[in-house]
Amino acid sequence: MTSAQKNAPLAARPEADPVAGNGYRPGSDFPVRDRFFEIRFESIGGLGAHAAGQILAGAAVLRLGLNGAHFSSYGSEKKGSVVRSFVRLGLPEKPIRTSSPVESPDAVVIFHGALLRLPTSLAGLRAGGTLIYNAPPGPPPPELARLPKDARVIRVDALGIAIEEKSRPNAVLLGTLTAAYPFLKPKVILAALAEEFAGKHADAVASNERAYLRGGSEYEILEGVGRGETDLPIVRPGPVWGYETAPAGGVIPRPGNSAWNDLSASRTGVIPVFHPEACIHCALCDMVCADLCLVWRPEADGAGVRMEGIDYRYCKGCMRCIESCPTGALTREPETPGLADRLRVPLFPDLLP
Amino acid sequence: MKTLSESAPTTNAPDRSIPEASAARIAQKVDFRSGNEAAALAARDIGYHLMGFFPITPSTEVAENLSRMAANGEHEIVMIPGDGEHGAAGICYGAALGGGRVLNVTSSQGLLYAIEQFPVQSGTRAPMVLNLATRAISGPLDIRGDHSDLYFALNTGWIILMARDPQAVYDLNFAAIRIGEHPEVRLPVIVAYDGFFTSHQKRRIQVFDDPAAVAAFVGKPNPPITALDPKKPVTFGPYMNDPDLINNKMQLHLAMEAARRVIPDVLGELSRLTGRSYPVLDAYRMEDAETAVVLMNTAAETAKEMADTLRGEGCAVGVLSPNVLRPFPGAAIREALRGVRAITIGDRADSYGADGGNLSLEVRAALQLDPENHTRVVTRIYGLGGRDFYLHDARHFFEEAIEAAADPEGVASFAYYGAEPGEPGREPPPGLPPLTTEEVSRGMAKVTPDPATGRLRVELEPLWKMSTIPPRVAPGHGACPGCGIFPVLHQVFSVLEGDIVVLFQTGCAMVVTTGYPTTAHRITYIHNLFQNGAATLSGLVEMYHERVRRGELPGSDEMTFVMVSGDGGMDIGMGPALGTAHRNHRLIILEYDNQGYMNTGAQLSYATPLGHRTSTSEIGARFQGKRFHHKDTAQIFASCHIPYVFTAAEGYPEDLMRKAAKAQWYARNEGLVYGKVLSFCPLNWRTADDGAESVLQAAIDCCFFPLYEVEKGKTVITYDPDLLGRRRPVADWLKQMGKTRHLLTPANAAYLESIEKETERRWRRLRAMHDSPEL
Repeated sequence: MTSAQKNAPLAARPEADPVAGNGYRPGSDFPVRDRFFEIRFESIGGLGAHAAGQILAGAAVLRLGLNGAHFSSYGSEKKGSVVRSFVRLGLPEKPIRTSSPVESPDAVVIFHGALLRLPTSLAGLRAGGTLIYNAPPGPPPPELARLPKDARVIRVDALGIAIEEKSRPNAVLLGTLTAAYPFLKPKVILAALAEEFAGKHADAVASNERAYLRGGSEYEILEGVGRGETDLPIVRPGPVWGYETAPAGGVIPRPGNSAWNDLSASRTGVIPVFHPEACIHCALCDMVCADLCLVWRPEADGAGVRMEGIDYRYCKGCMRCIESCPTGALTREPETPGLADRLRVPLFPDLLP
Repeated sequence: MKTLSESAPTTNAPDRSIPEASAARIAQKVDFRSGNEAAALAARDIGYHLMGFFPITPSTEVAENLSRMAANGEHEIVMIPGDGEHGAAGICYGAALGGGRVLNVTSSQGLLYAIEQFPVQSGTRAPMVLNLATRAISGPLDIRGDHSDLYFALNTGWIILMARDPQAVYDLNFAAIRIGEHPEVRLPVIVAYDGFFTSHQKRRIQVFDDPAAVAAFVGKPNPPITALDPKKPVTFGPYMNDPDLINNKMQLHLAMEAARRVIPDVLGELSRLTGRSYPVLDAYRMEDAETAVVLMNTAAETAKEMADTLRGEGCAVGVLSPNVLRPFPGAAIREALRGVRAITIGDRADSYGADGGNLSLEVRAALQLDPENHTRVVTRIYGLGGRDFYLHDARHFFEEAIEAAADPEGVASFAYYGAEPGEPGREPPPGLPPLTTEEVSRGMAKVTPDPATGRLRVELEPLWKMSTIPPRVAPGHGACPGCGIFPVLHQVFSVLEGDIVVLFQTGCAMVVTTGYPTTAHRITYIHNLFQNGAATLSGLVEMYHERVRRGELPGSDEMTFVMVSGDGGMDIGMGPALGTAHRNHRLIILEYDNQGYMNTGAQLSYATPLGHRTSTSEIGARFQGKRFHHKDTAQIFASCHIPYVFTAAEGYPEDLMRKAAKAQWYARNEGLVYGKVLSFCPLNWRTADDGAESVLQAAIDCCFFPLYEVEKGKTVITYDPDLLGRRRPVADWLKQMGKTRHLLTPANAAYLESIEKETERRWRRLRAMHDSPEL
């Protein structure tokens, strides 16, 4: 017997979730017939993209009777690094045999506005597909002009709504996504979301539900954003060094070149702001800064040192510096667009101005 | 030559030892599970007696899932966290000799560290099941999936089943029990599935919904002898030389041959229960195939998808993939490839210098036994280190086979596929200018021996002066927001003088500072696996001194050697670290203690305190976190009578820096230093990112984490909350962390009391040592 037979169609659960509607037949309104419907969540560790993908795909399989798979890109468990979460859905009888990441998504959901800048975030989006991104009201960023012109572009203030509802952006974005694709049965996904938290945090259920419902209604469809004619190209970032160019043995003879990394996308809405007039230059903050991003210079006379500011290129927004400051010279502020760029003091002005 | 029947997918000849009733189709239900979850569910349903394990990505989730279920009383498997994979394998071996059912899970280096035990276990015929979530082996360290670990297991005498998707992981775990325990086999079994591709990918699967039928299928273990039967005393593991050993191995060979007969029976029976078939060799669209690819696990499934496409384009192609790798299905391969003109074999690991990975070598060897066979074989090494295998990659493999069929000389018989030469001019960032010795030697701590006390005195410059010393760690690392490791390193490096070489053991600090091709280290840095960092650095130190002695290196600019490890590394690496201490090499071992294996997702370490919640000491109706007290690593090192031992916390920079300065003096002048530094981990302590100051202060003030030093045998408490009137109850500390809040509920009063008592006992003991120079 072949594996195709092994993965023979599973009987759709006869008790397919009642909220899906009377007479629901798994796959009857599935938007594509001869391939998978694929979704990619682009996120930062800690925003809940992995959980969102898992809830969505799990509900699609267990409640909507579809076939589905879910996985995420990360391996080592770090908060604040880029995470991609993949959902692959198919008709009930279609076996899933590929394990590789989603490269040509029907829908891309961006959990953090800073990710729009990365070329990989939008890569491969199909013409006629959907981009949902998390941002407060405002014009679409110029990067989105690359999108296919018939792609739907949807903006939702997922972070703002999540903060107001004491939820997380993932609940809001799931609400927007299912509103954009009715075959995903918004009520069914909401029920799955509620069940996910029911056992753990009873009060989280209500706030997630509000966040989800607001995500499904308070979005904005942006017209005329994309100018492209076709699917966005697939991006497969290759290695910087290859076998002919890399030093043997995997060594990195370039000390401290992590300084060229940009960790700005790790912040989630707040930054420390430095007020030089209140600073006594005691360096307590320097002793606890986890990102080594505070900038100090010797006084002109060589007798003392001064804190000059923060290099936000590296700051992940942990706020430990604020906690340590005895004079209030560091304060916690919302990160409005452009604020970090305006206030940034470069740590290596000659190399990375 | 053996006939095909040895490996045919038998649907007749049921195992007569199984009662008729179990042959009924089993009740099943649809679920949505990853490979790791499927392995855990199967373990629960099998009801193993015992599991020995040590966390390693990507297999750790099996233990995590089982820990969660255990906390809620969903199974009764005794779960023993080993001190490393070698220890875990020993735990499993001992348990298996006891006659019950035993489970282990591992990956990559975990398999390699344990592997010494594997032939012991097969040679002494103690069945158990090991789930292997396959992963690339070091070095350099790569956490993603390939088959380089699996290939090392081929010669261990273990049966190896290949699980291509989460459903197969679930199903084959049940088969593994029956195969390994069969009276004619009695061998341990590996169930191997692709790390991440299968271990972490959720798929629709069917799980059993009929505990009685499961119990009937797996039956009861029936070992002919055990180490727990005093009425039948038996010697396991005698001293056996020639002429006997070859006979023992002949028996092992015969057991493998018996497995050839038993496996199709068991898989056939399972197929009748489940409706899912696992022939020893999965042959997809091979009936009339002219060319084919041979692959294992997930890549084979991808290739099937492409085979369908190519069939639609008129190409007669098929896919072969073994469901059983040991015993190797050579006869089935010969049969399937009879008449096939060319094949591409994809090896997800190389046997360097052998012109093929092990799958290629074994398929080629199998074909050689058929004088009629003329199949052209093309080998491609692919997918190393977790490199994805897309549909277009599968197409490429088929096209190479088709090309080789047309022109046998036209295609290289061996090549790497997917390796990239690199582009001229494409380079990683250049790096910062090397630090000069002068820049980092600024006299921030003046250390002088005090003849009166026999101890060192340290005068520390004010903190603000240190802020312009260029850090030896550059920014741009990928640690979590608020991570305590970097304040620890920054504080220590602020006072260390001169040139330093660091060795980081595997752990968070290593992973987040060296993501290729960038490094945060501005000084020379070495990683070695955490079971062996101290030994490695001791070798380097001695090489340094020997080369100085021979005049090959300048002796004037004395270098300092520092090993940095997490508390996890001081579990698995304890043996070599103690060896290094006993030899008293001139180096510093600096442990950042964040109370768990945080790099792999917060599993318990031996340093995790009692009752603390981790992903392998979960809380639920039955269990309330970790079930034994924390290891007192500082006292263990003090017992080695090394010159200097200290504890510190990142919340007390001046205290830590004074001790770091002393550490350097002792490492330069007398020998080994060990320092343990309490290091904040907001993610896994479940606090706010900026919660360090308060939670660290409470840990110190409640005397859970006393700050002290043992200098040439004399214990001195450097911060005494009792004397300062700052002593607080342990609960003041525990209430600040999400991982411990459950300990403050009335139901857990006994836990809290036990932590308080143990904290007080250790504190008083320390006070006594502080008060008495003889202690």
